[in-house]
Amino acid sequence: MLAHARNVSIPRRTPAFRSTGLNLPMTPQAPELNALLGRVAAMRDRAAFAALFAHFAPRVKAYLLRLGASPALAEDLAQEALLNLWRKAHLFDPAKASAATWLFAIARNLRIDAIRRERRPELDPEDFMPEPGPAADDGLVLAAEEARLRAALKDLPADQIQVVELSFFADKPHSQIAAELDIPLGTVKSRLRLAMARLKKMMGDAP
Amino acid sequence: MTHPAHHPSEELLLAYASGAADEATGLIVAAHLAYCAACRLQSRELDALGGSLLQELAPVPMSGGALDAALMKLDGITPFQRPTRAASRDGTPVLLRSYIGGDLSDVRWRRVGPHLAYAPLLRRGATRARLLRGVPGAETGAHCHAGLEYTLVLKGGFSDETGRYGPGDLQVMEGDMRHSPVADPGEDCINLAVTTGPLRFESLLQRIVAPLFGF
Repeated sequence: MLAHARNVSIPRRTPAFRSTGLNLPMTPQAPELNALLGRVAAMRDRAAFAALFAHFAPRVKAYLLRLGASPALAEDLAQEALLNLWRKAHLFDPAKASAATWLFAIARNLRIDAIRRERRPELDPEDFMPEPGPAADDGLVLAAEEARLRAALKDLPADQIQVVELSFFADKPHSQIAAELDIPLGTVKSRLRLAMARLKKMMGDAP
Repeated sequence: MTHPAHHPSEELLLAYASGAADEATGLIVAAHLAYCAACRLQSRELDALGGSLLQELAPVPMSGGALDAALMKLDGITPFQRPTRAASRDGTPVLLRSYIGGDLSDVRWRRVGPHLAYAPLLRRGATRARLLRGVPGAETGAHCHAGLEYTLVLKGGFSDETGRYGPGDLQVMEGDMRHSPVADPGEDCINLAVTTGPLRFESLLQRIVAPLFGF
């Protein structure tokens, strides 16, 4: 069955993502991942699912390990996250989130459910008036924005990226992060603020 | 609807996006989002930050048979359907209805004196989420906080030393920050309140009575 994954026709890259001409299989970028997820939603495409599994399951597993899950639990929950993708693919809206962001939300919520035995309260789609979203080829616009966000992340100073990462991957209050890094709490908060301001500026300044 | 003027801090929105926030705190943040387009946008951006970090994580290989095991299960999976629910009669957000077990107008209030009432929604250790209701002009009594106190106005409004709060406004108080909220005149004020520790009242009577009600 693995062979199916290799037969998936990857949508043509948009020029923004064309990279340096290496012929090696590249990490699929947002537009491809979105398209694969769209195929799972529209035609229950198992090959597309296999490609998404190959890409995301090891990343979700890494995410859960970073947050302290045992290897066995991380593997189980990563599996479950991808099965959730199959179960909920028709709810995926590329105008609202990229496939990676959508998967992140699934993994985050699974972890809260499985490890903390709580649920994460979420807004119901009926709870607010629909807003004017991004225009027609919104999925592409959003994908490009997320590519910029990732590029912006890479440009952050090391001490800032560290607190951003720990905020997502440590499940610890900032006071504890401060203690472990052996810096004052105020420094953690100010680094975080600087990082957020900088990310916003880079996102806002981009064409 | 007017736009809320008092918002969760970026740190609080980040805790909600990362999943670090506990359920009661998540509930009050999510309820604020129902009123606030600006924070919904920010919350979406923070989710995207999580997605970007996930995308950049060094992958850890799954065990050999993981994909085949998943593929075997696909046919047995029925697509998720959102549960259909009876519409709210009074505009109570769906999010809150699931915790209340109905509309705000269905809440069975427990009285605390002639002017105030409450209804518990959620309790985890020392953290509690409750609905609070005050008649117009009701006073909570001056207090400080052993932990954090988040208050989100759902209906009506209140004022204290820090300002005026209307529907969708989120107030965050902690530790030594002392305040004595008074409900606005006109209509009952209904708030969602989350506390991570007891309130510390100034009046002796309240200091004696409050613990009996779990405040």
